[in-house]
Amino acid sequence: MSLPSLSLLLVGAYFIFLLATLVLRSRTISGPWLFLLRSFFPNWRFYHRVGHLRLLYVRTAGADAQWQAWQPMTPRAKRRPLQLLHNPEINLALANQNLVEHLTTDILDMTEEQNVREFVTYQLVMRLVRHWLKGQAEKQAITQYQFQIRLVPPFEEATEETALLTSPALRWSGPC
Amino acid sequence: MLNLAQTVRALECLLAISLLVQSLEFLRIQTITQRGSVWDWQVQQADLAHSANWVQRLFQLLYRDAVHHTHLIMRVALAASLFYGVSLVSSILLFVSTLVILIRWRGAFNGGSDFMTVVILTGILIAQVAAIWVGPVLAWKAGLWYITIHTMSSYFLSGSVKLLSSDWRNGQALPYFLDGAVYGPLQPDSLFRNKPVAILCSWTFILWECSFPLVLVGPAWAIAWCLCAAVFHFLVFWHFGLNRFFWAWIASFPAIIYCSSQL
Repeated sequence: MSLPSLSLLLVGAYFIFLLATLVLRSRTISGPWLFLLRSFFPNWRFYHRVGHLRLLYVRTAGADAQWQAWQPMTPRAKRRPLQLLHNPEINLALANQNLVEHLTTDILDMTEEQNVREFVTYQLVMRLVRHWLKGQAEKQAITQYQFQIRLVPPFEEATEETALLTSPALRWSGPC
Repeated sequence: MLNLAQTVRALECLLAISLLVQSLEFLRIQTITQRGSVWDWQVQQADLAHSANWVQRLFQLLYRDAVHHTHLIMRVALAASLFYGVSLVSSILLFVSTLVILIRWRGAFNGGSDFMTVVILTGILIAQVAAIWVGPVLAWKAGLWYITIHTMSSYFLSGSVKLLSSDWRNGQALPYFLDGAVYGPLQPDSLFRNKPVAILCSWTFILWECSFPLVLVGPAWAIAWCLCAAVFHFLVFWHFGLNRFFWAWIASFPAIIYCSSQL
């Protein structure tokens, strides 16, 4: 067999192997360092499954202790062609949304012995909420705030019944 | 088509652009990682609680505001230096710098674009390190093949998982993801809400991604598939705001075109 034919055969076998990895179930290896170094083990499955949406909602209360309506913290932006070259705000918003998704995973995976408030993701999301409320606090007085993680089934509304976690009412001590 | 020297030059320049885009964005948003802000390392360092003390102290030092800022400035300079050519030192420094930034963002900042950036940096690192033993020609070929195999895998796997999903096959997934995108939701009268259009678009993406290994048939095929890929990544940017994906994947195209002429 010539060298090019052998190379093509090997490449073909590699892609059949890749296809098999998608169909056959395999053991998931996990660990703290593997999580932090996951970019070195690429997972090319983008937008592959229509799954539950993982959304962050926030509400605040003023001096009268009346809670406002829950507001979604879904990243939304205006499109500009130059964002192809420089797009820091949207990329940060997407990284923050990933953080919300990781908190959701932590909640779903947590054991009875674990306390959600000790998770790094919970603490970072709490800071994210405070950061997000900064603009609002400049317009109106905030005394308390609360956030909620909602796990919304595909094609359904993000009602309060979909809440997976509701934080306690937290005292507003200013943005972080 | 492209000879080895031209391929390496194109790869260096496109990677330089990709890394500059990323690094300048990191510089712009660095206040969010500073002490007292959202992504404060004082909170995040609990991720390393399982590590040895010296590792924790090392990262504590690396992520001090002033050190992190200096690191990002150096990264901009290193990325720009690729326009003049890559060296063993610059490839090692860029690889380590990427590792440090990824850990700062709990493993990934922008998902797929981080994966592809690591793939290309690993490819050039392979080329630089292997050149010590086997010479630059064979070493660069190894590095370019590493990048090509990973890039082909990225399209092939991405297409195959969609092919296995009934929501993609019946066109439901496309408007669903576009509704949730950063520029979403889609207008009520958007063309993508039209079922036949959604099915046609979905199947076009699936078949094109799954057929990506055909780039190895020859350079003409590779160029055609890469041109489609450039349009595809622009559409992904246009609808999802993922500008880094565009630059990260474009940087891999010279390697694909070169390797397509090698079989």
